[in-house]
Amino acid sequence: MLILFAALALLSGWAGDYVLELAFRVLVLMTLAEAWNLLAGYGGLVSLGTASFVGIGAYVLVGAMNRGLPLALAWAGAGLASAVLALLVSRAVFRLRGLYFTVGTLALAEALRLFMVNYQPLGGAIGLFLNPDAPGLRGLFLLALGLFAAATLLMQLATSSRYSILLRAVRDDEDAAAQMGVRPFRIKLLAFIVASVLMGLAGALQGLKLGAVEPYGMFGLQWTVSVLAIVIIGGQGQRLAAVIGALFVVALGELLANYPAVHLAITGLILILVIRFAPQGLAGLSTRVWRRVRGAVPT
Amino acid sequence: MNANALDAVAPLLSVSGLSKHYGGVRAIDELEFSLPRGAVLGIIGPNGAGKSTLIGLLGGALRPTAGRIQFNGADVTRWPAAERARLGIGRTYQIPRPFLDLSVRENLLAGQYALQPLIARRQAIAASTAILERTGLADAADLPARALPLLRRKRLEVARALALRPRLLLLDEVGAGLVDSEVGELITLIKALARELEGLIIIEHVLRVVRECCAQLMVVNFGRKLAEGPTAEVLASEQVAAVYLGTAHGGGAPSAAPAAAVSGLTSLVAAEIPQRAASAVALLELREVHAGYGLARVLNGVSLTVRAGQAVAILGTNGAGKTTLAGVISGLIRPTAGALYIDGIDRTGTAAHVIARLGLAQCMEGRRIFAPLSVEENLLLAAGAVRKLESQRRLDQVYQLFPVLRERRSQGGTSMSGGQQQMLAIGRALMSRPRLIVFDEISLGLAPLVMDQLYAALAALRDAGLTLLIVEQDVQRALDLADEVHVMEHGRIALSGTAAQVRENPVLRHLYIGTAD
Repeated sequence: MLILFAALALLSGWAGDYVLELAFRVLVLMTLAEAWNLLAGYGGLVSLGTASFVGIGAYVLVGAMNRGLPLALAWAGAGLASAVLALLVSRAVFRLRGLYFTVGTLALAEALRLFMVNYQPLGGAIGLFLNPDAPGLRGLFLLALGLFAAATLLMQLATSSRYSILLRAVRDDEDAAAQMGVRPFRIKLLAFIVASVLMGLAGALQGLKLGAVEPYGMFGLQWTVSVLAIVIIGGQGQRLAAVIGALFVVALGELLANYPAVHLAITGLILILVIRFAPQGLAGLSTRVWRRVRGAVPT
Repeated sequence: MNANALDAVAPLLSVSGLSKHYGGVRAIDELEFSLPRGAVLGIIGPNGAGKSTLIGLLGGALRPTAGRIQFNGADVTRWPAAERARLGIGRTYQIPRPFLDLSVRENLLAGQYALQPLIARRQAIAASTAILERTGLADAADLPARALPLLRRKRLEVARALALRPRLLLLDEVGAGLVDSEVGELITLIKALARELEGLIIIEHVLRVVRECCAQLMVVNFGRKLAEGPTAEVLASEQVAAVYLGTAHGGGAPSAAPAAAVSGLTSLVAAEIPQRAASAVALLELREVHAGYGLARVLNGVSLTVRAGQAVAILGTNGAGKTTLAGVISGLIRPTAGALYIDGIDRTGTAAHVIARLGLAQCMEGRRIFAPLSVEENLLLAAGAVRKLESQRRLDQVYQLFPVLRERRSQGGTSMSGGQQQMLAIGRALMSRPRLIVFDEISLGLAPLVMDQLYAALAALRDAGLTLLIVEQDVQRALDLADEVHVMEHGRIALSGTAAQVRENPVLRHLYIGTAD
């Protein structure tokens, strides 16, 4: 795994701009998808609030760098701000369960977006421009690669450890888990904070790359929706969901780049097909096919 | 007197003035009792008496309206469930709630890791293995809990509660649906636990468990304590016989209601031949049916004929294939070999909804009431697309058969007690005006008195000409009702005959009836 990441980092020296551009996008989406998969797939917390954390991360990074902070500190600040936001809203959103949690997080994202549009000190609808110079494309790629590596490591820890058993127990039946001595609030909070920090860091990178942040882009619903599509196509609760889903969705987008309308329709169609015929996504589907090819009993 | 000595004197659990009200309904009303250290307390009472609510209150899933719960000297009345579990109160759910997508072992590990996050992995695994072996689940350790059938999920409930290493264990009807030999195993387990744990509270309808395991017994009715004392005395009292035990155990109980309704059942029963003499037409016939799940073979060549107007009972131990057989008949499970004939026409592999339209209805194990719908909506849904007048007529007759459903008509389907839900399930099967109903384990987890009422209703339906296929654990009641009985063993029919013949067969007596009652 480590070797793979190192090889990618080395190879990026020879890659052209188009490849780097594309790879950066895939990596940011993969990180977001990993985070969302931790929440929804392993924790049962189907959140529509991805955009809140992407936006906070981006704004904090740009704001901090404009005040002269070095990139490293500004980036860390973006992660910290996301964690604080998650902590602040956790009491409120965890009171809601299931669908209500989903709606609650959506409301949070929309409320933040409207606030940013109307709040002049942060640039209102125009947003903020990044004054210091951003790193070059290869630098950005390496940052994104590092972030994704960290996300992978965290996910590995969170999904194979004893914590994952507790998290999945809470997902399957929160009340029964409490009867077993599991404290559901703490378990969910940890997942929520970890996911939010990852989302904030990814959002910050996106802001850094664009060199300008504005509410419609950074707090927009499209972040939430594309991440959701990636994980559902990849396979909720499957370890490889983020990677497979992001590669698939971005590849599809590139293939159909000249036909935006067709692209949307086809993505929608694929979502419906996956939900109907492969509820465990492409990751689950390929495991099933693989088992059948090897002649084992399908489960 | 030092603290330890005080500990030994104070009761493990004491409950005072405990009440839980839902709107105007008093599920638990001013309940008062205590459990001394090392004691095993049995709680019995009719379905809907508030027993499961009491478990919820003790475990912390429910907040009491009033009253106090003291555990080990500490007031835990306002403590959330997780904190009570960490103090050592373990409970099971009457309707099992395993973590479906975790493996059976992980279901146990969740509790262990929650309490001891830093326990060595090997130690946790060893502890879970020991518990799984004790509860007879060792072979299923790596299966997802979703793959377990109902009765094994009940075992998992016990195993999971034990993983907490509780001081006080609350068992909510873990004996329901077990045959005699399994009840024996359960009793052995409970007796062993009684020696290890500091206290046990057992809610149970299987009286053998209560009689053999509990020194003290409390009877609850309408959320209040009706009687309490040494088990034998309480069971012998007339008051208890009247509200709970019913006819099977000597107390005089009402069984008149359904008999009066017989005359009016014609809207519910589509019987071409009103008299009960078995006709020549085989309404349902199975020929050498094989079926299973994946590689597991459950049915190995079952042949069975049900004629119109007959009442046929299928008996057998758990795992003999009874429920799978019911699934094959309803079209939910496709046989791998053999054929299913309805009215002499081959219907093998026909979809479930088509079979339902042919007049075969199901009253499924576990009831499967639609929770978001009211009682009346549950019933009307099953009537399908018939004229309003007709569905109203059927509804009236279901209410006539089970008057309590009329009282609860606008209540949520699953908010009623277990017995009432079972009545609703039967009523729902009747609403499609079927010719044959398959009753799958309808007595599971019901108080004896309620079972009497249900079986009286079935007898009335039989007399009205309905064809019945009864899959049952309760041998005695099934034999009283059925004309013909088949006993299943290992996926085939081991013994067939009239009820009288089977009753006299020593093999059956030995296997399923036992000598306890």
